[in-house]
Amino acid sequence: MITAGVDIGSTTTKAVILDDGKVRSRTVLPSGNLPGETAKRALADVLKAAQLAESDLAMVAATGYGRRLVDLGGIVMTEIKACAAGALAATAGAAVERVHTVIDVGGQDTKVIALDDAGDIEDFSMNDKCAAGTGRFLEMLAHKLDLSYGAFVDEAMKSDTMIQMNATCAVFAESEVVGLLARNISKADIAAAAHNAIASRIASMTRRVGSRGSYCFVGGGARNAALVKAVQEALNKPVHTPADPQTVIALGAAVGARRKVERAGEKDKDENAL
Amino acid sequence: MKNEPLRPPRDSASSALSSSQFDERYRLTPPKVEDPGARKRARFVADQQKQLMAGIPNRPANIAWFQELVDQGAAEGPGPLVGYFCNMIPVELIFALGARPVRIDCGNAALVAAGEEALSGEICPLAKSSFAMAMDPQGLPNRCAALVMPASCDAKRKLGEVLADYRPVFTFSLPPEQDAGRHTAMAAAEVERLGDWLAATLGRKLTTGALLEAIDLTRRRATLVRELQAARAAEPAALSVRDFFLVIQASFTGVALGTWLAEAEKVLAGVRGFKSARKRLRPRLVLTGAPIVWPNFKPLNLIEECGADVVADTVCTGAQSCFDPVVYEEKGRSALLRALAHRYVFASPCPCFVSQGTRISRVLDLVAEFRADGVLNYGLRLCQLFDMEAYRLSRVLKQEKVPFANLRTDYSLEDTEQLRVRLEAFLETLGE
Repeated sequence: MITAGVDIGSTTTKAVILDDGKVRSRTVLPSGNLPGETAKRALADVLKAAQLAESDLAMVAATGYGRRLVDLGGIVMTEIKACAAGALAATAGAAVERVHTVIDVGGQDTKVIALDDAGDIEDFSMNDKCAAGTGRFLEMLAHKLDLSYGAFVDEAMKSDTMIQMNATCAVFAESEVVGLLARNISKADIAAAAHNAIASRIASMTRRVGSRGSYCFVGGGARNAALVKAVQEALNKPVHTPADPQTVIALGAAVGARRKVERAGEKDKDENAL
Repeated sequence: MKNEPLRPPRDSASSALSSSQFDERYRLTPPKVEDPGARKRARFVADQQKQLMAGIPNRPANIAWFQELVDQGAAEGPGPLVGYFCNMIPVELIFALGARPVRIDCGNAALVAAGEEALSGEICPLAKSSFAMAMDPQGLPNRCAALVMPASCDAKRKLGEVLADYRPVFTFSLPPEQDAGRHTAMAAAEVERLGDWLAATLGRKLTTGALLEAIDLTRRRATLVRELQAARAAEPAALSVRDFFLVIQASFTGVALGTWLAEAEKVLAGVRGFKSARKRLRPRLVLTGAPIVWPNFKPLNLIEECGADVVADTVCTGAQSCFDPVVYEEKGRSALLRALAHRYVFASPCPCFVSQGTRISRVLDLVAEFRADGVLNYGLRLCQLFDMEAYRLSRVLKQEKVPFANLRTDYSLEDTEQLRVRLEAFLETLGE
């Protein structure tokens, strides 16, 4: 069975084609200011890459903050549910312990999801409405330090600083950076301090949902090596990052789409049996 | 230099009852601001909510009557208006004095910023916007002959003193603990003191007969709200929770309760006569947490838009506000005062008391009685009391295996989409 998942995020839109448990194609596009159009384009791109037509799809699922901005002709689910399903699917074949805690750092949200032994969502936590602790926050600080995002991450990797940043508010963090620069603190130390601040927020969110078992880190934030390192330090636990962490939620949506079709099939069978 | 008091000392001849609880020497000239911009923005916020609710299916035929009252504030009518806050003021005293109680807790997002101009920003939106209404020379508090404020949370306690510069204010003291055994006499004495103060301030006389009549009316209101609640629990599609809240909050506008009862009876008849096309399989939630005041129906909008029904609540502006009837054993004055104290002080699930046991028990009872699938807690940003209580509430519900979600937000709409994700994800987990 072939299904598609489209994750319309605040910064990027991701799409995945899933064919009997295998990812056939995936893409990441900037969401832009017409996320609905971008979603359609992302879906068209992955279909083309997999040499498929829309009619080959058994079901498509939309997720992410833009999930209701576009009608892809399928189902809609929250990114919490998609993220849980995606993390399990992405780690299914890997040589890691069964995932119990999923950390997702996106452009505007950070989420931590606790899963029970059956893989169902037990509890979850999200950041409040401000951008502190999200990918956007790090992008802003990189800009403030006149560094590309890649260089910002590289700088952070170089430092073992113990400098504390509050990072409770993205706007105040900017003035905090100005203060640190004025004290002649190196960009590497500031970059590391910013990553540590976010990591410590993520760690407290993780503890709040009552985390246990093995940890999986997904979303665009998981592509940031400095953040992965800082999160592992803050949790004092190894954290598994699947390949292509940014498309894990789109993958989860495709898994959700498949389940939807399977369940509908079971229901038909039940009705026939009656 | 001689240390002169800022104001002359209180006239010792004046009655202790009619004098203020607040230090006369430090009275301020209250700031009043003609701010047509704020008024216009507040109108816009309320109109938007009205427009949103126009799309609710199957509204009661006479909902416009309730909507108008809630939206336009106090109804015209005989007798002076007495403004009050919270759900802990025995409004029967006000009715019995021939005055009209109007609840002046404000839910308008547009007025939060106006209130911040004089108060600090770090105060809950309800207190700030309520204060903004007083700053408006045409605002509701300025049309009241007196204001009554319970010493519930810190913000309310101090808001009473701020408002005392505008209108005569009585701050109604509450015991810190809901221990009826130890505190009934104190609470009943405070109810009596409030009655005496109101009588002196309004220049009227409080009679037991009038108090009994008022109690009879609020008991009939409690019966009606309970019946509406029961009918909704059986078939939530019969009445949107937003319309239910409108109906309830219309009774806080100084309207004569007899008139309100006649209109609310029509709503009840409509709800009872409702036949659903098919069984509704939406998740059933118990709503608990901070006050939800018109036009800030944001949490209710979200719940219904996400496809869930509120079947019961402990919200002091929802069914909870009218749920407990005043129960008296005798018709004597002191028995009635004790009955009012029990109804308004000891039955309240407000987090301002030492233990949150009352609220937790109530939530658990409602979950069982109304067959709820989960509990939603609405936390108002900057209300530390509800915030602190979410800790125990969430853990107790987890132990009881009742699914729980916490929506923490304020009056502004900027986080609507994040809240929607939270709520939808919670509802998804209920469906599995």
